[in-house]
Amino acid sequence: MVLPNLKISLVIFSLFFLILFPVLDFPLIVYSDSTEEVHALLKWKTSLQNHDKGSLLPSWTLNNATKISPCAWFGIHCNHVGRVNSINLTNVGLKGTLHDFSFSSFPHLAYLDLQVNQIFGIIPPQIGNISKLKYLDLSSNSFSGTIPPQIGNLSMLKFLYLSANQFSGRIPPQIGHLSYIEALHLFKNQLSGPIPHEVGGLSSLNELALTSNFLKGSIPPSLGNLTNLAILYLHNNSLSGSIPSEIGNLKSLSSLALGNNKLCGSIPLFLGNLTNLDTLYLRNNSFSSSIPSEIGNLKSLSILELGENRLNGSIPLSLGNLTNLDTLYLYTNSLSGSIPSEIGNLKSLSGLELADNELSSSIPHYLGNLTNLAAFYLYKNSLSGSIPSEIGNLKSLSNLDLSENKLSGSIPHSLGNLTNLAILYLHSNTLLGSIPREIGNLKSLFELQLGDNKLSNSISHSLGNLTHMTLLALYDNALSGVIPEELGNLVKLTMLTLSDNQLQGSIPNLRNLTNLIRLRLNRNHLTCNISESFGIHPKLTFIDLSHNNFYGQISSDWGKCPNLGTFDVSVNNIIGSLPPEIGDSSQLHVIDLSANHIIGKIPSEIGKLSSLIKLILRRNQLFGQLPSELGSLIQLEYLDLSSNRLSNSIPRSLGNLVKLHYLNLSTNQFIQEIPIKLEKLIHLSELDLSHNFLGKEIPSQICNMRSLEMLNLSHNNLSDFIPRCFEEMNGLLYIDISYNELHGPIPNSTAFSDALMEALQGNEGLCGDIKGFQSCKASKSHKPASRKIWVVIVFPLLGTVALLISLIALFFIFRRRKNALQTLQSSPRGTRGFLSVLTFEGKIVYEEIIRQRMVLMMSTALEKVDKEVYTKLIYLLEKSLQSRNFIRHSQVR
Amino acid sequence: MSRVSIIFCLILVHFLNNCLFSGNALHALRSRFKDPTNVLQSWDPTLVNPCTWFHVTCDSNNHVIRLDLGNSNISGTLGPELGQLQHLQYLELYMNDISGKIPKELGNLKSLVSMDMYQNKLEGEIPKSFANLKSLKFLRLNNNKLTGSIPRELTTLSDLKVFDVSNNGLCGTIPVDGPFRSFPMESFENNKLNGPELQGLVPYDFGC
Repeated sequence: MVLPNLKISLVIFSLFFLILFPVLDFPLIVYSDSTEEVHALLKWKTSLQNHDKGSLLPSWTLNNATKISPCAWFGIHCNHVGRVNSINLTNVGLKGTLHDFSFSSFPHLAYLDLQVNQIFGIIPPQIGNISKLKYLDLSSNSFSGTIPPQIGNLSMLKFLYLSANQFSGRIPPQIGHLSYIEALHLFKNQLSGPIPHEVGGLSSLNELALTSNFLKGSIPPSLGNLTNLAILYLHNNSLSGSIPSEIGNLKSLSSLALGNNKLCGSIPLFLGNLTNLDTLYLRNNSFSSSIPSEIGNLKSLSILELGENRLNGSIPLSLGNLTNLDTLYLYTNSLSGSIPSEIGNLKSLSGLELADNELSSSIPHYLGNLTNLAAFYLYKNSLSGSIPSEIGNLKSLSNLDLSENKLSGSIPHSLGNLTNLAILYLHSNTLLGSIPREIGNLKSLFELQLGDNKLSNSISHSLGNLTHMTLLALYDNALSGVIPEELGNLVKLTMLTLSDNQLQGSIPNLRNLTNLIRLRLNRNHLTCNISESFGIHPKLTFIDLSHNNFYGQISSDWGKCPNLGTFDVSVNNIIGSLPPEIGDSSQLHVIDLSANHIIGKIPSEIGKLSSLIKLILRRNQLFGQLPSELGSLIQLEYLDLSSNRLSNSIPRSLGNLVKLHYLNLSTNQFIQEIPIKLEKLIHLSELDLSHNFLGKEIPSQICNMRSLEMLNLSHNNLSDFIPRCFEEMNGLLYIDISYNELHGPIPNSTAFSDALMEALQGNEGLCGDIKGFQSCKASKSHKPASRKIWVVIVFPLLGTVALLISLIALFFIFRRRKNALQTLQSSPRGTRGFLSVLTFEGKIVYEEIIRQRMVLMMSTALEKVDKEVYTKLIYLLEKSLQSRNFIRHSQVR
Repeated sequence: MSRVSIIFCLILVHFLNNCLFSGNALHALRSRFKDPTNVLQSWDPTLVNPCTWFHVTCDSNNHVIRLDLGNSNISGTLGPELGQLQHLQYLELYMNDISGKIPKELGNLKSLVSMDMYQNKLEGEIPKSFANLKSLKFLRLNNNKLTGSIPRELTTLSDLKVFDVSNNGLCGTIPVDGPFRSFPMESFENNKLNGPELQGLVPYDFGC
């Protein structure tokens, strides 16, 4: 509606203007210039988004008045001749660009303020045409692109605010032409490149704020010419180099903020001359000097932040002169020596952070004078001595952190006076004595961390008064007695950590602690029925009750804690069986129930715990078949079912658990063979199947577990030869095959040759070049004497006529291949069952040895003959021996 | 120049080691990863140590010794902070979508026994700094997009038992010294490698 009217009137006016301009006299020119301003403003308004909804700048409209003037429009001010000299449209929801803003239409404009809108796009270079502009504020918009160099044409400009936009590129050096500029704010943009040294020519400059850009390079020394400068904000950039000495000329400077850059070198002594400074913000750089004592001259200083540098030396005593200081942050440096008592003079101080340094000796009593202190951080130093009771005078204190020091003595009772305290961290010291009852007076306390000390005696009942508390950590002390029942009232608690103490008796009823996220009561002497003290805790993710004397059964309620990820009740006296409902806690990641008295079968529902990464049921009384559903837990990394009475065969499905790095099934009653499918466990580092009744041979596929480092197969009924492929398991470090029924050569690999005798003993008939064993060449087997004679006769004979036999064998095998295979396949060896080796005729074993020995000798003899013939022969022999893996594959290759 | 920067880096790493906990290093790692299946959800930086985080294993001194994030749908890059886990023995990041270069700082992991980063999208070179991994037994970097040559420095890793760099874009010759005497040819397949280094001759690194 507005748009066509406007267009028509625009056309009419333009024509009117063009035709009449040459003949019009002065008053009419004024009239028509004002009209131009009106139409320039309206044209811009129509270019803005939402201009036609009527809500945007409703007063900006052409009405029927005879005189067209914008002077009464919202945000517009005019001079005495009715020309626009000020446009102020702060925070009115403008959305659009300046593309249609006709800068040249406002020759009298001195003040343009468009801050806090949503104007986007570039600043058109025509902005340089507003030659009378003194004040330009485009801050907090969405401008992008570069700052146009034409800005430098605004020779009258005193205030330039372009902060909080998305300007990029370099700061144009033409900015150095703004010789009257008093305030230059370019902070919170994406400006890059160096600070142009031309800025140093702006001798009227009072405020220079280039904070939060990507400015690089060093601070131009020319800034030292800005003798009127009061505010120099260059923090949050990537400026490097040292602070130029010329900065020492800036005698008017009240704020110097260079923090969060990459500045290095020393903190210059001349800063002590800048006596008007109230803010010195140099944190998070790489300054590596000591703190100059001259800083103590800066009597006006209220903020001194030197944290996160590499400052060394001691804290200068002169800092005690800075009586106006409100904030003193020297944290994360390498400051050493003691805390000067003079700091106690800084009565105005509200924040004192000296944490993460190398400060030593004791905390000065004088610090008790700092009655305005709200935050007091001394953590991570080497402070010793006791906590001065004067700290109890710091009535304004809300955060007190003295953790990770070497503080000794007891916790002063006076801390109970700090009724505004919200956070009290004294952990990781060597504090003694009991927790003062007065701590219970700190009604505002949210977090109490006293862990890792030497606190003793019982936990005061008064802690139950601290009903705002969300974190209570008293771990790793020598606290004894009973946990006060009142802790059950702390309904806002999210973390409760009382682990590693000597707490006894029953635990409070924790059913009301529905906000609990982490609970650690492990390693105490707690005795109570686990099924009674807990409710359903909807936010609980972690519970560790291990190493106590908890009894009772595992309640199916645990399955109703919908966020429970870790459930550790190991080393207690839990009885009963695993409830099938355990399968409902599909978010469980870690279950450790080891060393309890849990009986019965492992329910097949356990297969539903699809997130499980660690399952430890070691040392219980579980029996029966292992459910094959365990194979569904494909995220499992660690599985320990050792020392139970599990029986029957090991389910093949365990081969699905490809993420396993630890598998322990030892000390159970597993029978039958080691499932070949375990070969899929290619990330397994440790496999322990010892102390079972596993039989048959060690499957050669075990060698496919290519990450295996430790293998324990001891104390089983494994028989036959040890697969030769162990020689290719390069990573295998430790092996124990003791107490089986293995025989034949010990594979030639470091795991075997480095093994202790204990790891190989208890087998009948192993041989090899290992101390304590017969050499396989001499191979005096441990068979009865009659058989020994056979060996004694046959082996030397075979040895001497090896070549002859091999040639005959070659001939023989080629002709009678079929026959040989048939004979071998129908041999009794194929029909052996479980434990059959006990009744198996030794003669067949012996024949087997002979046969294999022949192959070995023939292969050595033939190795140097025709490679192809040799390969074929070995292939046939090997096949006839039914995958006995006797011949080294590397030789065949 | 590069030597100066290496020394500077070493000093910096040493400095960082002193002031950061392993939890911080792991948390920095997390911030580089995209983790659509929330495998790293339990990594709460406010805890005293990372030992109860899932997929992190500590020894009895609360030092991180294992990081098991194999086949976990993780993408993103690795960062230098991983090198701060000085006690780490097992770095299992296999079968993910991890891209970018292997940080040379991994060479600081003096206790590392196993580094499994196969089947990812790692690019760039195998860092020479791996020669510092004196305890390393398993190094599997196969099925990535690694380029450059196999650093000769790796021949000094006398404990190295299993080595696989197959299916990458590596070039140059295959070292033959030290543990490389016993690695099968399959470990080097599908690269642009020129075959084993010829001993006694000037090493030829054409095309590399």
